[in-house]
Amino acid sequence: MYTDDAMIVKNIALLGHKDHGKSTLIGSMLMQTGAATQVRINEAKEYSRQLKKNFEPAFILDSFAEERTGEMTIDTTRAEIKFKDMAFALIDVPGHEELIKNMISGASYGDIALLIVSAKKDEGIRDQTKRHLFIARMLGIESLVVAVNKMDLIGYDEGKFQEIRDGLAEFITKIGFERASVSFVPISAYNGENLVKRSLNMKWYKGRPLIETLYAYAKREGRKQADALRIVTQGAIPSAKGELVVGRIVNGTVKTGEKVSVLPAGEAAVVKEITVKGSKVKKAVFGENVALRLDRKVIAELRGAVISSASSKPVVSDLIRAKILVTGKIRKDSVIKFNGVDISCKNVKVLNGISTTTGERNSSKTAKLLEAVDAEVRLARKIPIEGYDVTRELGRFVLYSGKKFAGIGIIRE
Amino acid sequence: MIKQDLKTLEEKSIFVIREAKLKFNNVAALWSMGKDSTTMLALTRKAFLGKIPFPVIHIDNSIDFPETYKFRQDLAKKWKLDLIVADSEIRPDLIGSACCGKNKPDTLKKVMDQYGFDALIVSIRRDEHGIRSKERYMSPRDKNFKWDYKNQPAELWDDYSSKLDAKGHVRVHPLLDWNEIDIWRYVKQEKVPTNPLYFSRNGYRYRSLGCTHCTVPLKSNAKNVDQIINELAVTKDEERSGRSMDKEREYVMQKLRSLGYM
Repeated sequence: MYTDDAMIVKNIALLGHKDHGKSTLIGSMLMQTGAATQVRINEAKEYSRQLKKNFEPAFILDSFAEERTGEMTIDTTRAEIKFKDMAFALIDVPGHEELIKNMISGASYGDIALLIVSAKKDEGIRDQTKRHLFIARMLGIESLVVAVNKMDLIGYDEGKFQEIRDGLAEFITKIGFERASVSFVPISAYNGENLVKRSLNMKWYKGRPLIETLYAYAKREGRKQADALRIVTQGAIPSAKGELVVGRIVNGTVKTGEKVSVLPAGEAAVVKEITVKGSKVKKAVFGENVALRLDRKVIAELRGAVISSASSKPVVSDLIRAKILVTGKIRKDSVIKFNGVDISCKNVKVLNGISTTTGERNSSKTAKLLEAVDAEVRLARKIPIEGYDVTRELGRFVLYSGKKFAGIGIIRE
Repeated sequence: MIKQDLKTLEEKSIFVIREAKLKFNNVAALWSMGKDSTTMLALTRKAFLGKIPFPVIHIDNSIDFPETYKFRQDLAKKWKLDLIVADSEIRPDLIGSACCGKNKPDTLKKVMDQYGFDALIVSIRRDEHGIRSKERYMSPRDKNFKWDYKNQPAELWDDYSSKLDAKGHVRVHPLLDWNEIDIWRYVKQEKVPTNPLYFSRNGYRYRSLGCTHCTVPLKSNAKNVDQIINELAVTKDEERSGRSMDKEREYVMQKLRSLGYM
């Protein structure tokens, strides 16, 4: 294998209310770490001039004409920076409420969350600030850095910084972040203060600058993978000796000779041959895309099926209990997207509501837009499921009502 | 330029390419004979036991470089490609971005209609351009090829939108995560065949390949893949700086892409 100085890239999902400075922060980080080319910086300067504004670092990211003239990010994008022996992909997302589907699309790739809260008068902690945090935690992000922004506009007031920290602390714990995985950093994204270098204007802040804080979290061990074999299949492909099942290993390892079960039907089979990237191997591991020859022809549909270890199988059921974030109208006949296939719902029964801005459960029996619910979803057929914290791929789904993105669901047990 | 883990990139691309083939009824790939789309074909061979199980389309405006045609001929034979050459006529009244925005997409529309393709694999990367960085892995286009960039579908957890409008198609972007330098590191690792125009001759090389009318070589002494990797590790120049259409003002790439440019 050819090896060189390749870097581990950690995805940092930006969160926060519109206009609190997400894109500006990324633009400044790109400039301070030398990741933005002069061409891109000059282009951003030129467009700032054309729009008769002071230089706007956000324009390095916001590439659409509408994003620059409208001063808002419309869709997610990402930009990479290097720091020490690591790289970060900073995922920008829109802060506007109506663009929540683009925010979720971006944040779903995040390893670490970076929340921006403006300390400026009349900005501060908003509903969208908390909702973004709620969504990030629901998606399974465990580490959080809160950048308290625009400190330059409030005279670098430590009291205001503390106020925002105290104002968020309870909510953050309530939705399931651990204290040891949350840090607060006072910054000025526009001036580039406390991003890479410590700001002389905030000597009262004794912690690390933003990038060092992110680095410390990025160095922590990632989520532990479960051991039991799970392969989500994409379908079958022809080969000289008959059909091969193709899919991706989402948990565990697969070995030749292993007894497996093809779910949801539960057909038993033995793995005869494993191909990874065109080469035959005796064993394949988590994350690899495999092509398997089984000892018999599987009768069941192979798109969206699960090949599981025969001795330790996931539950197969047509009734799932899930926490659902509501992004559109959820109907009885909504459809869930689950590992590449669409499955019709027979019923979606709301058990209780969950406020995305307080984290509190309530007695609501309806799915309100931008709120969450605990629900029971009855499906038209059985699927193999597992808790999201055990096997992510078997514990999550996307909800559609007709063509409309209606929500995301996390299966708890 | 950041070098990413090639195995991670490779697995993601193989997953997306297999998904394109197994999710849609009739998929094709665009092949410009450049480094990116040739790498995509190499990845496809990895995904499908050494075969490329769908047609590859070259939109041929007859003004590509002679080296490019030679490369097309050789590799089509070696990899047994099901090659569709779609002739695109150059019109003297369309210059620069007008040419890119009209000729190639128009020709592509004809091919897509003729064969009834419902998905098209295109080897764009996020790091090429700010507008391309806003793309999804799978992105629906309507029958006029329009990219509704202000209202893209949600895309999360490798579960891509499959809702298609009548006669529309889905653009599939398996190389979205790769950086330019990763492509060259993969070319080295896998010995992916490359168009000779990428290597320096008389102090110049092509870093991004378009047709003869709109592509100029850049100053470079990189004569082989290793030297290209070293050059890219330190360069401050943009990859497409030799492509004249990108330099036209006023969001030309955004307009081109929204109209169906690849």
